[in-house]
Amino acid sequence: MSKYLQLLAHPSELRAVIQWSVWHDPVYPREPEKESENLKRCYELLNYTSRSFSAVIQELSPELRVVIAIFYLILRGLDTIEDDMTIPNPTKLPILRSFHEVIDTPGWTYNDSKEKDAVVLREFDKVIIEYQNLKDKYKVVIKDITKEMGHGMASYCENEDFNKKGVDTVKDYDLYCHYVAGIIGDGLTRLGVEAGVANPKLLDNPQLYESMGLLLQKTNIIRDYHEDLMDNRRFWPKEIWQKYAKSLDDFAKPENEAAGLDCLSEMVANAIEHVPDCLFYLAGIKEQSMFNFCTIPQVMAIATLELVYRNPKVLTGHVKIRKGLACKLMLEAVNVRTTYDTFQEYCHKIQARNTPRDPMYVRISVACAKVDQFIETVFPTKFVPQTAANNAFLVFGLSFAVVGILIVYTIFLLD
Amino acid sequence: MVLNTVLIIGGSGFLGCHLVDRFAALSPAPAIHVLDIRPLPAIPPEFYSFDPETIVFHKGDITDPSSLRDIYRAVKPDIVVHSASPIHGMGKEIYYKVNVDGTRAIIDVATEPEFKGIIKGLVYTSSASVIYNGDDLRNADESTPMPDKQMDAYNETKALGEKMVLAASSADFKTVALRPSAMFGPGDRQLIPNMAEVTYTFGTRFQIGDNWNIFDFTYIGNVAHAHVLAAQKLVDEKTSQRVAGEPFIITNNEPVYFFTVPRKVWAMKGVVPGFTIKISRPVGFFLAYMSELVAKLRGKEALFTRFRVSFTCANRYFNINKAIRYLDYEPIVKLEDGIERSLRFLTYEEELKAKTLAEKKSE
Repeated sequence: MSKYLQLLAHPSELRAVIQWSVWHDPVYPREPEKESENLKRCYELLNYTSRSFSAVIQELSPELRVVIAIFYLILRGLDTIEDDMTIPNPTKLPILRSFHEVIDTPGWTYNDSKEKDAVVLREFDKVIIEYQNLKDKYKVVIKDITKEMGHGMASYCENEDFNKKGVDTVKDYDLYCHYVAGIIGDGLTRLGVEAGVANPKLLDNPQLYESMGLLLQKTNIIRDYHEDLMDNRRFWPKEIWQKYAKSLDDFAKPENEAAGLDCLSEMVANAIEHVPDCLFYLAGIKEQSMFNFCTIPQVMAIATLELVYRNPKVLTGHVKIRKGLACKLMLEAVNVRTTYDTFQEYCHKIQARNTPRDPMYVRISVACAKVDQFIETVFPTKFVPQTAANNAFLVFGLSFAVVGILIVYTIFLLD
Repeated sequence: MVLNTVLIIGGSGFLGCHLVDRFAALSPAPAIHVLDIRPLPAIPPEFYSFDPETIVFHKGDITDPSSLRDIYRAVKPDIVVHSASPIHGMGKEIYYKVNVDGTRAIIDVATEPEFKGIIKGLVYTSSASVIYNGDDLRNADESTPMPDKQMDAYNETKALGEKMVLAASSADFKTVALRPSAMFGPGDRQLIPNMAEVTYTFGTRFQIGDNWNIFDFTYIGNVAHAHVLAAQKLVDEKTSQRVAGEPFIITNNEPVYFFTVPRKVWAMKGVVPGFTIKISRPVGFFLAYMSELVAKLRGKEALFTRFRVSFTCANRYFNINKAIRYLDYEPIVKLEDGIERSLRFLTYEEELKAKTLAEKKSE
């Protein structure tokens, strides 16, 4: 019920929900009648396991739709193994490290997982069949990324310090996010370039796709502070939180709210510093369905960052952007210009709430100004000489002369 | 080739002391000579890391070629760094004498045959304001032309000086001009002190404009660092060709919404106003006009001027990719740390003043 009430409170979002559900036409709709039973089952698995990505993946161009869906399912399988705490390391590590070979082993399934998404592993033979049907140029990329990610995950599972104490330095934090998200940015970029929908130059600037992944991952880590804490997982780096508390867990206590909000600010500052790279990256996508696929998660992330910024609810519970807002964001992020406008809007909302009391005051102001600066390089503001405005002030000013004189007089009296 | 000897003209000034500091921090450090009309000020070790004893001071007048010649002969510098400039408010004549005639003499004497092969180049401190004409500068870079008419006499003479310096660049005498934007830091008499002055007045509660205008402030140590890099590039045959005859804009590469910096200054001094009165730019302009008028009638200098309003509301930020690419420039002190250091310096000076005052009293 509250969902509907929320919509009534935000009429523009109500409009967006209706517009999205009634008039939205995918750039490339799926054609299930032409799909094999096996492939249909894979899309069902995708729907089942991915909340946010499933829709955008299924609207991709036919060339990439299957490729990215299968890529997603393979990584989901890998992730499910990693997350499953009931699998002991001696069993888990070899599977993670050899997962790039698993996808070349027809008939492979795994039936001992208790995780929510374990169905993917139980029916992994179906994913393998579709993987084998892909063009070689895509298979190579997927295999590479699966290998790199599997090895990265295995090294984290093995790392006692990481499992007990969480992430130590900011550098470690970036590295962790690289393994779980940055690598995927790498893979998707390579797939996009192979399919001719992404500018090949994106591959020469790893920092750009890295930032794409890191912005998403860091946003989730910030938003899921409380949920992760309940699951006994800690991803906020010690180098940051130790400035504000003796333990990361302290922020959930009401008496530490102020410190928690300051720490939250630093986490947000650290995340929005990736925005100019992400905007740069998005300008390199050459095809509409791929652009939507890349952009939608990004605009959700910036809106989420705005929502979590100095929001005490993050420390004690779960926050999420409203469904209606999500629809509105998806409708608006249709091209580079509108996407940049959305980013600018949310960065300005963050900056508008920025206060000199916040230890991150200057850093956040710089981060937001740098977003403006980047947008200006792509879409320069039309030049308007100030001299015209200066002349206007006299006309305007004279009519308020009396008031002006009074105010100046008061100012001088105060001096 | 490494830098053996450097002559810093204007080395006793605000930027000058930081130039000495950065050159002295090189390893191996070059021999550092300072030419100025006044000796080096007291150098508090909390803010500068060099030993003033190691610096050779030459008192001289840059508008007098024979005085310059004697000093060049005695010092034999590889590189001359020219950062002498009169402070604002000295008047047009002084600006011309120092920034134009002085710069002319520095170049003319250095290019005399007897210094060929000895003085390899000149690094000139210009200003980002030479491309400012009162309109917004957004992502301005070195391709932005200088306006036909400069904002004031000071900028006019800085621009003339820069043109002379860059035109004088040749195979034997290579020159670079650096254009820092809104410098601040220890020793600063204007930017941060002016903001700090407002702290305990009603002024902290005012904002002119919407504060979405972006500004580039530059920590003085970073400007000095850029000068050192430029000097190093000029003496190195491999890099000198690419930088010779070129201007470079220097900033902290941390553009911010204008009021961020004054508000940070006030917050560091313990003042965060609970509410802010926002005045639109035209109204601000009008009030400033009235304030100037009233000040004129009372025969005083106005504090709240139209120039300050336009400065406060302007977009003035730059693209410094050229300096990053060709000078390998990267700011070494963050904006926030720079503000903190500036305020620490102000407190230090106030305490020093209070101490000397107390000592005098006790005598």
